[in-house]
Amino acid sequence: MIELKEVYYSYHGINAIRNISLEIKNGEAVTLLGPNGSGKSTLLKIINGLVFPHRGVYRFQNEDIHQKRLQDDSFSKSFHQKIGFIFQNSDSQLFCSNVFDEIAFGPRQMGMTEDEVDKRVNDCIDLLKIQEIMNRQPYHLSGGEKRKVAIASVLAMNPDVLTLDEPMNGLDPKTGKWLVEFLRCLSRAGKTIVVSTHNLDFARKISNRAILLNGSHSVAADLPTDNLLDNIELLKKVNLLD
Amino acid sequence: MLDFHNEYVTMPDWLMKNENYTPLSDKDSFINKSIFSLLKVLTKIRMQSSYAEERNLVNVNFRVFFTFALIVLLSLSRNPVFVLIVITYLLLVCAFMPTIKMIQILRFSILAALFACIILLPAYLGGNAYSFIMIPSKVFATVMAVSILSSSARWDSIISELKRFYLPNILIFVLDITIKYIVMLGEFSLNMLYALKLRSVGKNRSKYSSLSGVAGTMFLKSREMSEEMYCAMECRGFTGEYHVYKKFNIRLADFFYILINVGIVFSFIIFG
Repeated sequence: MIELKEVYYSYHGINAIRNISLEIKNGEAVTLLGPNGSGKSTLLKIINGLVFPHRGVYRFQNEDIHQKRLQDDSFSKSFHQKIGFIFQNSDSQLFCSNVFDEIAFGPRQMGMTEDEVDKRVNDCIDLLKIQEIMNRQPYHLSGGEKRKVAIASVLAMNPDVLTLDEPMNGLDPKTGKWLVEFLRCLSRAGKTIVVSTHNLDFARKISNRAILLNGSHSVAADLPTDNLLDNIELLKKVNLLD
Repeated sequence: MLDFHNEYVTMPDWLMKNENYTPLSDKDSFINKSIFSLLKVLTKIRMQSSYAEERNLVNVNFRVFFTFALIVLLSLSRNPVFVLIVITYLLLVCAFMPTIKMIQILRFSILAALFACIILLPAYLGGNAYSFIMIPSKVFATVMAVSILSSSARWDSIISELKRFYLPNILIFVLDITIKYIVMLGEFSLNMLYALKLRSVGKNRSKYSSLSGVAGTMFLKSREMSEEMYCAMECRGFTGEYHVYKKFNIRLADFFYILINVGIVFSFIIFG
């Protein structure tokens, strides 16, 4: 489903991603592990078509994704519907005047009737248990509530792939536990999940495969999550553990 | 039925199926254009701050002081020879800069001079050819001097040097924070536009309300950031006094720079 071949990306001449090749199959739950600045967020931006590799190939559902391809308005919209992105900072993802409109933004764009939109939004609200904040302004919610609204707003478009950038940041333990169970549930429902994190416990709970990035911005290991997390020497080597 | 959070929750049917969706066409290139413009500005600021100050061996103190002096002398001068000397000197300095910077500086200076020419066209038609030549030349030299300074020194260095000109602390502080927050808020708004782009998967019937949502959130965010920063500063003992600490070393290049600029001051005294 997602295929990267020898991908390089740099910001103003400083490498952010170096020679990354990986393949993520439909329905997989994968975590991108790595220390701060190893390129996890940049990799997610590439996967979401927000930035483009300077070298190498990115393919999504057997289609090459590059700047020129995404200039095709119809293809670009179809691509963005299939892959949802939950930002690290939920504040920057919420721009509507209330939670209901925020979740309804995607379905309305997709040309659904108001009845269909209502059903989708209410389903998402029930699923995430955010009924009591339905009419509130997103900006004034707590961190955990904002994260739930951000997830609901992406989920309402029913993407095939859900990508999350450091989703555990700023969440209290209860909301963190909720997120773990929710992602497991989505994975069981057949969604492809790609999560970037440096929280090892979280990675173990939600994914069956982990890709470890190192300080040189390349892949240090690509293993089943348990095998990778049990390799303490390797985790120490990439500065994820003391 | 799927087990979720120790309760039985039914996943909606639509979420279990692949979405069969054909996008509707819409004129929403404004999002990409806004992202592109914002990226351009942010890159410019980042490039400005990452521009190697070491490339310019002359101390920022002297550059700020003599640029200021040059502007004052240019505005006082009534002699085209002096203006010509200054322009020649500035063009020479510009010639030693990287090509991209050189083009930017020249383009900006020529545009400013052309604008001044257009404004002064009635004066020329009225027979005042002197002003028509002198004022655009002065504008050209002034804009060029400031552009050279701003592209060869980091903005925060320039701002901290203003302290030596006895500018009020609070003004320097405000300028300093403004530069920092332009980048931070710029990055935040870029992420908001990215989010809008990622979720704009069809026809948006209320484009302006989406954009006003982005602007509103930006406003709230900037207010929140300013409040947080003020509280953090208070906690660290900020009492309104903003001190600038900087080491001051004179190098050989500084002597040459001072010598050239003193020469320009003398040429002002000679030619007036």
